[in-house]
Amino acid sequence: MSVLDSTTTILSSGVRLTVPLAFAACGEYLAQRAGAMNISVEAMMLGAAFTSVATASATGSATAGLVVGVVTGLVLGFVHGNLSHRAQINTFVVGLVLNALVLGLTSYLITTQQFTSHQVGVLSIPLLQDIPLIGEPLFSGRWPAYLLILLVPLTWWLVTRSRWGLELRAVGENPQAADVAGIKVNARRRQALLWCGAMAGLGGAYLAVGEVGSFNQNMTAGRGYIVIAAVIFGAWRLGRTLIGCMVFGLSDAMRLALPALGVTLNPQLLVAAPYLLALIAMLLFASQHREPAALGRPFQRGST
Amino acid sequence: MTPTTSAVPILELRSITKSYGSVTACDAVDLRVDAGEIHGLLGENGAGKSSLMKVLLGLVRRDAGTVLVRGEEVALDSPQEAAELGIGMVHQHFSLINALTVWENVALGDTGKVNKQAICAGIAEVSARYGLPIDPEARVDALSAGERQRVEVVKCLRRNPQILILDEPTSVLTQAESQELFAVLGRVVQEEGRAVILISHKLAEIAQATDRVTVLRKGRVAFRAVTAETTPQLLARQMVGREVSLGDEGAALGLLPVQRAGADGGEARERQQPVLRLAGLTVVQGGVRVLDDIDLTVGAGEIVALYGVEGNGQAMLGDVLSGLVVPTDGTIEVAGSRVDVTRPGVLSKAGLGIVPEDRHHSGVVLDMSVAENLTMKSLNEVSGRFLVRRRAMLAQARRLADEFNIVTPSLDAPVRSLSGGNQQRVVLARELSGHTRVLVAAQPTHGLDVGAIEDMYARLRRAAAEGIGVLLISTELEEVMALATWIAVISSGQITGALPVSDATPERLGMLVGGEAA
Repeated sequence: MSVLDSTTTILSSGVRLTVPLAFAACGEYLAQRAGAMNISVEAMMLGAAFTSVATASATGSATAGLVVGVVTGLVLGFVHGNLSHRAQINTFVVGLVLNALVLGLTSYLITTQQFTSHQVGVLSIPLLQDIPLIGEPLFSGRWPAYLLILLVPLTWWLVTRSRWGLELRAVGENPQAADVAGIKVNARRRQALLWCGAMAGLGGAYLAVGEVGSFNQNMTAGRGYIVIAAVIFGAWRLGRTLIGCMVFGLSDAMRLALPALGVTLNPQLLVAAPYLLALIAMLLFASQHREPAALGRPFQRGST
Repeated sequence: MTPTTSAVPILELRSITKSYGSVTACDAVDLRVDAGEIHGLLGENGAGKSSLMKVLLGLVRRDAGTVLVRGEEVALDSPQEAAELGIGMVHQHFSLINALTVWENVALGDTGKVNKQAICAGIAEVSARYGLPIDPEARVDALSAGERQRVEVVKCLRRNPQILILDEPTSVLTQAESQELFAVLGRVVQEEGRAVILISHKLAEIAQATDRVTVLRKGRVAFRAVTAETTPQLLARQMVGREVSLGDEGAALGLLPVQRAGADGGEARERQQPVLRLAGLTVVQGGVRVLDDIDLTVGAGEIVALYGVEGNGQAMLGDVLSGLVVPTDGTIEVAGSRVDVTRPGVLSKAGLGIVPEDRHHSGVVLDMSVAENLTMKSLNEVSGRFLVRRRAMLAQARRLADEFNIVTPSLDAPVRSLSGGNQQRVVLARELSGHTRVLVAAQPTHGLDVGAIEDMYARLRRAAAEGIGVLLISTELEEVMALATWIAVISSGQITGALPVSDATPERLGMLVGGEAA
């Protein structure tokens, strides 16, 4: 295999691994800007991966699987939002419980069922896909990947330009002031978590019925945490967050590709690479205080 | 400025009642405000001013009573409804969001599409009309206290409210900024016929700026009058509910001038043996010199006041002296020996006690018992190597509680269940126990009622009489004048001057506070 070919292979694999992260990161970014520290993004992705495969198997349509995956994410976002930002249970505890619950539940259910494999179609863009090196990685993917072209700008616009987004940011920075301005703080956070659920669900479903075509136990394997790391890595900016997703996706691709290319490198080390990168990024950004000031802090009216 | 007494007042509250649990914050309060007047609302902490305004803004729901706006009964269930009725508030705290720009802050609470051009144009128009220049693109955290207040005022006026509420608007402003604000308010009522409700505990301000005044006491209306027909002394008496006899009380309420009691009152005494010496103390945070080369000395038995407008570095100095922040440069000497502040607990070991500015934050542990809080800094005395000797702890706590008149249901009761004044006494008792040489009291009377303020003053004086050096960090001029022998003034993190209290005229202090040598 020529160097060019293997580079293209790694890039293709990197893009495929980045796309699910990018979907979920759009959601997590928006939720964190609203001050909602959503740990359960892992549960959203894993749950959606399972339900999408189950639906695709039952209906024969991978697209239906994708839709049900989004709905699964929404449901988990609804549950997380209501437990954390209505019942005022510690949001980290809620997240950890949901992650453990979904992992256990899907691991059990997969042993009771046999699913047939379905995958969404590949959409190749004529001409563009023939560009050397980047043509195949970028312009010959599964069709839902192209939704990013729409959803990334939409997320950015929602947060930085819409009234809803302005209110979200206010809620994430200073919930008391937002309350005084007549903004329903916890309602905004629940709404942000719904958006996060839908996007994380899409990411999880894309991973299952888009790239892999089947479900296996713990198939997200901590990608939800990587998404959280990407938002931190990106210092709560969408562009940098997506760059973070790419870095993590590519390092994942290297891990898979290097042994096949005959390079001997400790695979365990490469598994740890994204997390190490996230740690280093956090160290670098820690002193800048970029995070939304009220991130992860519950808000209750009448208390300061 | 005689208010035009129209038949229908712009705002009328009839027997508003609001309770929180067993506490009645407002008890059948009546208030009538006419268009074209500035109406003062005067009261001590906890008199019910804030609760009444929260009702008026739709932030809390009243238990009983009627609100009439222009003669029509209204529900006032939400902040949006209050805004639609033309009720706007200039908030003191929690209202601007630091990470957002000025125009984004102004746009918060609007409805509909965000139109930056239109919002910025609106800001420019209001700024021009009232002479309040602000840059709509600036981030709020880059603005000074005065500029933030300006943003608040512009934000409120842009919505064209008919009734403006200002809650303690001058507490963080310089004298000049306060005058600017009152000038704007004067135009708002006289030329535009709006109504203003000015909440304050500063009598001078009420007397200067308002047309009529309502005094609240313990949730009830105690007194109402045309301001011109009353005197600050009368208002103070109505607010407290008894004759203001002590200089201390008068000072706390903002009655100038204050005559100090005691022989050492007017004269500058010789400086005593220093027990606290700060030299070149500097803290740089985020590129800003929050404290800039502070030199300050407190002698044994002296009360030295550090006076200045809030937000000029006092909080940082309090944090440094609490050991929470390690200074970038400079030294701290306690009782003649230099303290290495990079290690926790050394300041307290060296004999420095501190009553921190925010007692809930770093003064007491609210959910721990009175006894545990009282002995927290002297655990060696009440415990063995591993175990706490409960009997010794309770004995020590009992002794301190008796000595400092701490009113508590039991020594095992959580500090949370105590009143603010008693919580503050717990802090003071703990910090003065042991071998304390220096006591730093940062805003020790914030949020206390008059009785507790009086008690605090007496205890600070007694501590000084016992030879302890007291550094009083305060933003209340009257408090400083009443207690201190020396006054140092801090402005933008620098000490702009220090003078004995006998030389400290309000004018000279005012100049120093404004950052100018006097």
